[in-house]
Amino acid sequence: MAESGSTSAPPAPVTLPQGNPVVAVLSAWLIPGMGHIYLKRRLRGLAFLVLVIAALLIGCRLEGNLYQVVPGQPLTVLATLGSMGMGIPYFLLRYGLHYQGNVRGAGYEYGTAFLLTAGLMNLLLVLDAWDIVRGKKE
Amino acid sequence: MLSHFLLMVLYALLVGLFFSLLWRRGRREQVKLFLQIFLGMVGGGLLVAWLMYPFPSGPPAPIP
Repeated sequence: MAESGSTSAPPAPVTLPQGNPVVAVLSAWLIPGMGHIYLKRRLRGLAFLVLVIAALLIGCRLEGNLYQVVPGQPLTVLATLGSMGMGIPYFLLRYGLHYQGNVRGAGYEYGTAFLLTAGLMNLLLVLDAWDIVRGKKE
Repeated sequence: MLSHFLLMVLYALLVGLFFSLLWRRGRREQVKLFLQIFLGMVGGGLLVAWLMYPFPSGPPAPIP
């Protein structure tokens, strides 16, 4: 059968950025923005670092809850995993500074939202770093 | 620091900046997405607050 003659452009070659996927993902999780810095996206990495740390500091200032697993309450497992997404800051706050929210504090609910958001934002950064190092994203 | 409106604006600011940097590359596209998220969150919050305005708030729930 003869070719129809239509010429389609060949797909653009995917160029993988320099970097180890494991190091990129681990560094992205441990320190917010570090995965992007490792992958030579320094400005974006620094911006992400500032944003996540800002959410974290506001949450602490408002005495929000830094989730931990409560027996008999399965949803706290999900919330704890989400909060742990912020990496080293979670463990530093939990075990180094013995941070505890203040349930009687006026900003408790707001602070909890900021702290959980910091963890979830960093989890998205981990996924973004993974996409970059695999060449699926610029 | 404990103004409900200020905290809502602050939260919308952080989330808007984060997603505009994460999902868009060009400066123009980033600004556009930021404004969509920021105004959507703040405007949506005000709209919900306005809709709830006629309802009585009731006494605060006891703290366990």
